[in-house]
Amino acid sequence: MPVNNKLSVIEPGYDDIPKNSLRRMGKSVRIGMGVALAVIKQVPVFNGIIIGTGNGGMEDSIIFLKQVVEYNEGLLTPAHFVQSTSNAVASQLSLASVNRGYNITHVHRGLAFEMAAIDAAMRLLENPEHCFLLGGVDEISGYNYRLEYLDGWYKKEDALIEDLYNTNTPGTIAGEGAVAMMVSNEKENAAARVLSIVTLHSSDPIEVQQHLLDFLEQHNGLDISLLLSGENGDNRTLHFYENAEKLIKNGIPVARFKHMCGEYPTASSFALWLACKLIAGEPLPAHMLKKGDPRAAHKNILIYNCHKNLQHSFIFVSAAD
Amino acid sequence: MSRVLITGIGVISAIGWSAAENHIALKNGACGIGLPGYLHSRYAETFPAGEVKITTEELKSKLGLTDASVTRTTALAVHAFNEAISDAALTSNQLTSGSTALIGATTVGGMCLTDELYRDANAVSTDSPFLASYDCSSVFLYVQRHYNIKGLVNTINTACSSSANAIGYGARLIKLGLANKAIVGGAESLSKFTVNGFNALHILSPEICRPFDANRKGLNLGEGAAFLVLEREEDVIGKKVYAEVKGYGNASDAFHSSSLSDDGEGPYAAMQGALASAKLQAADIDFINAHGTATENNDQVEGKAMLRIFSKPPPFASTKSNTGHTLGASGAIEAVYSIFNIANQEIYPALNFTNIDESIGLTPAGVYKKAAIKNVMSNSFGFGGNCTSLIFSKA
Amino acid sequence: MEKAELKQTLKKQIIEFLNLTSLKPDDIKDDEPLFGEGLGLDSIDSLELIVLLNREYGILIKDPKEGRKVLVDVNTMVDYIEQHRTK
Repeated sequence: MPVNNKLSVIEPGYDDIPKNSLRRMGKSVRIGMGVALAVIKQVPVFNGIIIGTGNGGMEDSIIFLKQVVEYNEGLLTPAHFVQSTSNAVASQLSLASVNRGYNITHVHRGLAFEMAAIDAAMRLLENPEHCFLLGGVDEISGYNYRLEYLDGWYKKEDALIEDLYNTNTPGTIAGEGAVAMMVSNEKENAAARVLSIVTLHSSDPIEVQQHLLDFLEQHNGLDISLLLSGENGDNRTLHFYENAEKLIKNGIPVARFKHMCGEYPTASSFALWLACKLIAGEPLPAHMLKKGDPRAAHKNILIYNCHKNLQHSFIFVSAAD
Repeated sequence: MSRVLITGIGVISAIGWSAAENHIALKNGACGIGLPGYLHSRYAETFPAGEVKITTEELKSKLGLTDASVTRTTALAVHAFNEAISDAALTSNQLTSGSTALIGATTVGGMCLTDELYRDANAVSTDSPFLASYDCSSVFLYVQRHYNIKGLVNTINTACSSSANAIGYGARLIKLGLANKAIVGGAESLSKFTVNGFNALHILSPEICRPFDANRKGLNLGEGAAFLVLEREEDVIGKKVYAEVKGYGNASDAFHSSSLSDDGEGPYAAMQGALASAKLQAADIDFINAHGTATENNDQVEGKAMLRIFSKPPPFASTKSNTGHTLGASGAIEAVYSIFNIANQEIYPALNFTNIDESIGLTPAGVYKKAAIKNVMSNSFGFGGNCTSLIFSKA
Repeated sequence: MEKAELKQTLKKQIIEFLNLTSLKPDDIKDDEPLFGEGLGLDSIDSLELIVLLNREYGILIKDPKEGRKVLVDVNTMVDYIEQHRTK
């Protein structure tokens, strides 16, 4: 349930993270580590770590900033500065798992996760036998929320989850989350297959529509069985999502996910996680369904997400076979 | 798979406003490091830095950037971007093509506006123009908007190796057929935030830095930006080509968040990876642009890693005693400097090296000279153990 | 302040400053090494403790290497504080 329009994660006890390291970690590092270490337990041998984060490190940066201002640039403690770099999740993970392979952090806001996923796809083309930990992490953080609120991205009024999509007001609710997955060319036991990722920067709905049309044409042979939409209750971006719905065949179900995770830069990673669950056969929960028949098989899922009226991504996910 | 060739370069740093100026400065052994005149920090009187000698407002005005939300980092990026795309003679259609990617990098982003960020993050209401300007991506989202880039756009932050990874990402997009062109690079500006952060770690030097020297006392910060235009081999017929992006290696040191392991596992693996991807042997490298920040830890470890790979290391130097450590921009700025080595067949003197550190046992290049340079390795090792090595070759 | 009281205060401050949330003051022995074995602190912690000494006791240690000689265990820290504190 959102509190003050923020959907926060419920943090577990972190048994896998050494206490000495845990004490220094900001929330995004903790939640990123938590999910990633759980995945690594299942697949302990891997060749690198590829993370996407929009806000990672922001909170620690501002905590360090507070010291700079309040102590007037006097003698300061370095821990928050060291944790404030966006690559803290990826590097702490490499420390914890002693992984000396490829390590990178993509920070392109609403497309950070997509850029990380494309990076992983490139690594797999370059090294077909390898596998990589791919993750998307973002935290709400008090300070960052305030900046985004002042910039007009969150609802001014308290939003109830049940009404989020009917509010017809600007803004959405803040979210946070961490998703981690192991990716490889291995079909056996794979949860899903990411067929294609296309990204675009545009505030022009006609341009976005054309891009989606082109994307659908490219994948003509594939029957979309579900549109997983990043609609988030912000009435300024609704038209992008409605246009996307118009372009897919009549009757194809449309589902939404932002009422579950809130809005955050790497929310598309949450959508991908959901897509994997659906492809595995889990029934689509009624609260996600916007329209259409939920019983249709979810073999080919199109995820469409738009971040802050500018960054768009189309991700095609299908069953691995 | 297509070769990836460099057809345009742009750079701004403490030693020059353009590629030509930076080149002359390197040849002449010019040092752009001194007490900063424009940075608002009490440490401007204590720690020398490689500052670009202009106020943010003047730079924005020169570039015609009237948008109040544009930060110093973004302005530096635009300056270098302009030079690079003009140098590569990219047409407007090519620049805005869906197959032209923009891959940028920065660690500070808009946090050069340290005081403004503090105010806004604690504000109840504000008409600040900077609310969307603080994060790393704000820099390249501006470039995307300003030039109407319609291909893939990305921002990378892996601390000091950020723009080296940006170059690698762009090159790989082209090699794998996911883009035809890529404009790749990074930008960084001096900020109260980083000065205080590095000071808290006690690794800033109160004098001009001495990479690899026995008496080195730490690093000087620097600022600047650089971009390279990368194109497929088949698209550059008739164009001038500076060099090829031949190799890319990336590895994690996995030792500590702010220092490298004693044996330099990360740097070693990154350099090995670059050689392997370039299909070259260590002996093929004619010059190394070292990371060489002049901290006790980095130079020690980097030297060790170099000796593990190169039984007889080629001439090498760190250009950070010319420009300071430009953090997220260093990979790209030093890539441009590596291109100078190749395009002009010469090496530049390492500045401020006087006494060999016996525990490292290496002496950087002492004088300017002409040399047969086919392959240059450029190294960048960042906080968090993010180690990247690039190899540029004569095309 | 009595030495014993100072030791307790210092232990509380160390725990708070370094965010050692799983420890109580009584968990830290007076002669337990702070670095390496014992408490297992690292180089960042040593810089943090130098700041603690400055903020709480007005002591300025300029060189982190000199600092490590002081930051051996609670006993050495307390002795140094008693000799050099300015607040």
